[in-house]
Amino acid sequence: MTLTSSSPSTDSVSEPRPAPAADAPAQAVPGKRFASPFAVQTPDGAEGWESMYPYYALLSDERREFEDGKFWFFDGMHNPEPLYPFDTIMTENWWVAASQMSTRVWPVPPAGGIDHRIINGYLYISPNAVTDPEAVAQRAEEFAVRAGHYYENWDEIYEQWVAKATDCIERLKAIRFAPLPEMEPVESVLEHRGTYSTYELLTTYGELINNLFEMGSYHFEMLNLGYGAYLTFREFCQAAFPGITDQTIASMVSGIDILLFRPDDEVRGLARLAVELGLADLVLGNEDPDATLAAISAHPNGAQWTAAFEEAKDPWFWFSTGAGYTHSDRAWIDDLRLPFSALRGYVQALLAGEEIRRPLDEIMAERVRVTAEYRDYLPTEEDRESFDGLVELARQVFPFVENHNFYVEHWHHSLFWSKVRELGDVFVAHGFLDDREDLFYLHRNEVYSALYDLNIGWATGTEARGVTYWRPEVERRKRIREVLKANPPLPALGVPPEFITEPLTVMLWGITQESVQEWLGTEDQDPNELRGVAASAGRVTGRARVIIDPEQLHEVEDGDILVCRITAPSWAPVFSRLSAAVSDVGGIMAHTAIVCREYGLPAVVGTGFATTTIRTGQLIEVDGDTGVVRVLEDASA
Amino acid sequence: MSTTTPAPYVLWIDDPAANGNRQLGGKFGSLAEMTAAGFAVPPGFGITTSAYRHFLESAGLAERAREVRAAARGADLARVQAISAEFSAVIEAAALPADLEAAIRVGYAELERRTGQADLPVAVRSSGESEDLAGASFAGQYDTFLWIRGAEDLLRHVRRCWAGMFGAAVLTYRPDSDPDAVLADHGICVGVQQMVEARAAGVMFTLDPVSGDRSKVVVEGCWGLGEGVVSGGITPSRYVVDKVTFEVVRRDVVRQEEQYSVDPATAAVGLVPVPVERCDVACLDDVQIDALAKLAKRIEQHRGAPQDIEWAVSEAGDVHVLQVRPETVWSARAAAPLVTEKKSAVNHVLARFAGVGVAQGRGRTS
Repeated sequence: MTLTSSSPSTDSVSEPRPAPAADAPAQAVPGKRFASPFAVQTPDGAEGWESMYPYYALLSDERREFEDGKFWFFDGMHNPEPLYPFDTIMTENWWVAASQMSTRVWPVPPAGGIDHRIINGYLYISPNAVTDPEAVAQRAEEFAVRAGHYYENWDEIYEQWVAKATDCIERLKAIRFAPLPEMEPVESVLEHRGTYSTYELLTTYGELINNLFEMGSYHFEMLNLGYGAYLTFREFCQAAFPGITDQTIASMVSGIDILLFRPDDEVRGLARLAVELGLADLVLGNEDPDATLAAISAHPNGAQWTAAFEEAKDPWFWFSTGAGYTHSDRAWIDDLRLPFSALRGYVQALLAGEEIRRPLDEIMAERVRVTAEYRDYLPTEEDRESFDGLVELARQVFPFVENHNFYVEHWHHSLFWSKVRELGDVFVAHGFLDDREDLFYLHRNEVYSALYDLNIGWATGTEARGVTYWRPEVERRKRIREVLKANPPLPALGVPPEFITEPLTVMLWGITQESVQEWLGTEDQDPNELRGVAASAGRVTGRARVIIDPEQLHEVEDGDILVCRITAPSWAPVFSRLSAAVSDVGGIMAHTAIVCREYGLPAVVGTGFATTTIRTGQLIEVDGDTGVVRVLEDASA
Repeated sequence: MSTTTPAPYVLWIDDPAANGNRQLGGKFGSLAEMTAAGFAVPPGFGITTSAYRHFLESAGLAERAREVRAAARGADLARVQAISAEFSAVIEAAALPADLEAAIRVGYAELERRTGQADLPVAVRSSGESEDLAGASFAGQYDTFLWIRGAEDLLRHVRRCWAGMFGAAVLTYRPDSDPDAVLADHGICVGVQQMVEARAAGVMFTLDPVSGDRSKVVVEGCWGLGEGVVSGGITPSRYVVDKVTFEVVRRDVVRQEEQYSVDPATAAVGLVPVPVERCDVACLDDVQIDALAKLAKRIEQHRGAPQDIEWAVSEAGDVHVLQVRPETVWSARAAAPLVTEKKSAVNHVLARFAGVGVAQGRGRTS
């Protein structure tokens, strides 16, 4: 049987069912528990999928009791599709890097690490909690010393963080992969190097992997603390002003010059320059970016624009079209169609006499007004003092919270994937693979073995085993992954916890008591209604456009309501055509929520099932005030 | 208070002399102030407290009024009711002095002229000197008469308003702060205003009356005239609006089957069925909710303190202010801090990580 989003236990049966075997995995019980992870069946044709992933990421009979009793939710926010074997480097990174911060580095008093399992290729995660009050108290003492130090010296540490991240990216840039030479260069000999191309290939690969883990560690160095400070301010606002929306709270601390807006700002600047230089017709005249670039180069004024374009591209076009966690999230720099589509939009707006500048002064003045008014409405002077302190601290941590995304997920990760492709070329050159992209079907530890295999072949002059081994294996894995992809995962498995307080779980994934209850379902649930987090205000009715793959983005038509697993900030160019957005996953601080609000689109995120419930063409209503999405009527077709 | 000019018997709420004039009583005085500040108040005039006293004097009833109040003090309810009924009948039968009657007729004719409508339907409301003061709410203890047409009917209802000063509820009113309140010789003004034929109407508060949260405007409204909301006879729909961003953060739309409107059959205000197509529909659209909330915020800013506001939306969609008075419950209460314990922002955050919340919630608005 296949994995679907309907729960088997609600099927009505006329025939009495045989009693389940004593060791049969638990089925979902509406309102109580989700199906056991062990009840998930492998779809036909995907048998053997486990071989693509490391043993420690799989469910096991030996740990069955533990694994069945935990609450697992699908991390569709970062990994909407079945994981490519190589891409588990990202999930495995934060499995350690995020977890160790809570568990061993700070430690966060009531929170442990976050466990991972791969089920049918999809990543499920499960936050651990520390519940023993004595242990919590002990950890709190340690935490106060360590976290206190970071808060007290935040700006300085953030400055150091930027320097470390930038240096890490520079070293990544310097990494080069090339096929092994026919003959070792003579310099190696004359300089008495003693190590040769085989050693260099292995160590460079090691550098690449270590570089990812280095950045992966920086990623979480300050993140929990940043979220924690913001969460405290948010809770204060919610206690003082019940019903205050998340977007309003965010608007009081959010920066206006955050790096995530910078790529789009660069495109606006290029649009202005194109109009000034009389290149508007060339920009509008062709939908193919390469043809546009060629036409501009040939124009007498083209050199100035081309120079500005090259300047903007690095680093600002290292901007992922997805969350940056899989290699299939291509960056603008890999595929210029998205920024050029935005460029054409801005040029057209300029020609129509519209203002395309972001109204920074107005946004800033509004932030000042909103903050001052809420402050005035607090009941006592004591509360106003606390509010002042908390808003100041939240604003202090926010540049890191908002900007780390650009450094890590966009700039570093996009560059990282491009380096892996360079390595893919090495395997193609040595006859292991047909296509550089096929390398992503190998786990990073398998790549190490394959490199060694390649070195053996080069050293001995014998055909490497990999030349005949990997092609059919990659083909097999491709087929399996296609089957897995066609079988969307359940949003949650196992037994939900009584309380969800871990800050990252709440803020990043939008997993709350309410969303879990929603997923658990009730008997009298309206099948045409989905509930999620109200992420951006407003109510809109329109036709749904379900987008699973960023490749489909060009299908979006004016007025569509985007329905997706998760929106990505680099989808910005399509936002201007949308009337609203709905996502399966994400909380108020999901990487993209800030940008969604910036575009003023009504949005409901974290609905769990939008992409599996709603179909393209259906008339739906999105209420960004209450977080409710309704299917009003089926597609007319 | 001494004045050099004789006090007027009729004072228009848009007269420059009306703003802040105690002769209009609390309710109408507020409306004069709102009119002066440019808010959309239906046109009208007050028959002043001087007019009321002039009537009692010239009808020879002033001394008797004092006796009635003295007799009511400490009397049992049945006795008060008897005294009230007897004296009310006397007032309603008494003749108006000619100059006063003429002034009221001229005022009504002028209102007909201004609105361009003969036999203009008006609302006739008591506006007491002592009501609507912050901390001493007499709300609901005086009379309101709706859909009054023609000078004769108006004069009759003006006397009924005056008689209302000696209603049983007023004669038995004893706030804790002043057990002798009944003895005070409070004046009364009678307000005469064009009726708004409301599509929807109700009240709104510039704070959440349940939680005291000042960042909200709470709008309660129903189809038809607002009398049902004010009297509590109709369960209103309720909208909680953020006063800073004007987002509607909560909507409780109630199905409504009956509304207060002018019944064409009786030409009087009464409960009539809500048109079928409206029963399940919100009585306010988003544009109207937004306009009301912004109006409430402006009025609060103008008056410098939280307010209760009665409002109406006409069939054409215009928003009108019918009454404004200071909010009395939360304004009188000593504010309790929300923060559980005073500490630095960093310490608040550290405590939050350890599971200690930063502030006590006000609870959900209901």
